[in-house]
Amino acid sequence: MSGKDRIAVFPSRMAQTTMKSRLAGAQKGHSLLKKKADALTLRFRAILKKIIETKVLMGEVMKEAAFSAAQAKFVIGDFNHVVLQNVTKAQTKVRSKKDNVAGVTLPVFEHYGDGSDSYELAGLARGGQQVSKIKKNYAKAVELLVELASLQTSFITLDEVIKITNRRVNAIEYVIIPRIERTLQYIITELDEREREEFFRLKKVQGKKKAIKAIAEIKRLELKALGVDVDNPADMLKDTHEDEDLLF
Amino acid sequence: MTGLSELYFNIDSGYLEGLVRGFKGGILKQNDYLNLVQCETLDDLKLHLQSTDYGNFLANEPSPLTVSVIDDKLKEKLVVEFQHIRNHAVEPLSTFLDYITYSYMIDNIILLITGTLHSRPITELIPKCHPLGSFEEMEAIHIAGTPAELYNAVLVDTPLAPFFVDCISEQDLDEMNIEIIRNTLYKAYLEDFHVYCSELGGATAEVMCEILAFEADRRAFIITINSFGTELTKDDRAKLYPRCGKLHPDGLAALARADEYEQVRAVAEFYAEYKQLFDGAGNNPGDKTLEDKFFEHEVKLNVNAFMQQFHFGVFYSYVKLKEQEVRNIVWIAECVAQRHRAKIDSYIPIL
Repeated sequence: MSGKDRIAVFPSRMAQTTMKSRLAGAQKGHSLLKKKADALTLRFRAILKKIIETKVLMGEVMKEAAFSAAQAKFVIGDFNHVVLQNVTKAQTKVRSKKDNVAGVTLPVFEHYGDGSDSYELAGLARGGQQVSKIKKNYAKAVELLVELASLQTSFITLDEVIKITNRRVNAIEYVIIPRIERTLQYIITELDEREREEFFRLKKVQGKKKAIKAIAEIKRLELKALGVDVDNPADMLKDTHEDEDLLF
Repeated sequence: MTGLSELYFNIDSGYLEGLVRGFKGGILKQNDYLNLVQCETLDDLKLHLQSTDYGNFLANEPSPLTVSVIDDKLKEKLVVEFQHIRNHAVEPLSTFLDYITYSYMIDNIILLITGTLHSRPITELIPKCHPLGSFEEMEAIHIAGTPAELYNAVLVDTPLAPFFVDCISEQDLDEMNIEIIRNTLYKAYLEDFHVYCSELGGATAEVMCEILAFEADRRAFIITINSFGTELTKDDRAKLYPRCGKLHPDGLAALARADEYEQVRAVAEFYAEYKQLFDGAGNNPGDKTLEDKFFEHEVKLNVNAFMQQFHFGVFYSYVKLKEQEVRNIVWIAECVAQRHRAKIDSYIPIL
């Protein structure tokens, strides 16, 4: 993991507050994303269950439809080409709508019938009952197929989105937040150290000042001993030295 | 006079009748069907078929076998046999055999008309045509754009032209639903065939007229039943009933007025054989459907045709029985392939 570094920032109080607010933001974002991921996973599992049910049903429906095709063939003979040649436009069409789940738009397909039945008179002289049965069976199969298609596209889309969201959640949890925390840590340690340095400096300065004061005191006492008046400061007015005029 | 025709029959058609009876002997029996029904896979089926008259017809097919391959090969055998018979036939048998092919020709023409209307390339359509119904002008169909053009340019030269003339005018061709054209043609064909057989006289007329009358009545019943709930009006429906059956004229008039299944059944009550067929039929699971009963009756009539000698009906019956056999085998094959053994016994037993 390349997260051993921290954000390059000049350690200051303001940086510290900034980092603190960033951490709060990251944590909020993490919890929100986690909620989104959970909602998506819930929906994902529901879709998975539905897909399994639909696929099993599909198997049965297709078997039924294929059998009714065999029955129709028994009575009518080979009617494949009759159906194929009479195709003009689609009788069942598919519309796609959008469904929104936790911010993810999923496509949903619904079928609708369009136009009248162009095979109404097929099998008029032979096998009309079989033809209507097979029409019903295959219509049911097509409906199921459309439903299955819509379920599967949502499955795939959801899968992608869940992966992305989980990646983001993990990134925040294991990279961003630790990094911010480390930065915060660093700032705090730097600030502490600076305080300590400051403290030390102050102490040193104080010590030095004390030493200078001590020396000055000794000098003063010496001067005092010599008779120089050191208690009162020098009076400028008494001093009658003529200073030279300053000429520029 | 029947006596004379029997004497002279063998001169022209003796060899062919013998051939057909030989072919008929090879039709699958109940035993064979029992064996086929026991098969678990299509390869088992192929094995069982090898011991019948079909022999090694599937020998060169690559595995895995599919039902459509079996279907094609079975049909091919029938086509080969029929064409052999046709090639050796002379008048009047050759015209009779041509009449048999007209029904396939009608299906082919309808297929070509629909395909041309929807601008499909002709090369796609030709392989889908039934081989028994091919005619010389088939390749030329694509030059026409509308059915009316098609008729004027091409169909007028085929043997089916008279059927078009009798009942469909040029405008009708363009407007009518393709199924209605198909059924109108078939009606004209049946009536014409019936007239021809009656002219032939003798045992042929006896046997064939009965079979064709049944076919006509069966079509009338089925068209009526299937047209409930569709946009087909009663008048249009009445125009599709072939008039060469027992139902003409009263039964057909009654059928034309019928609105539901019970009324159709009531019409059938007046005719002894049809009453029987409607009695056993129903739509509940476990019942035979009406179509199944019709098939059984047709098979019975066709088998009875072989009881008499020196007539052409045997050829027609052989073709129909062989077709039914192909349908039976394909049905059993589908049930085996789809592992749906519930209704595997719903084939129509022939012998």
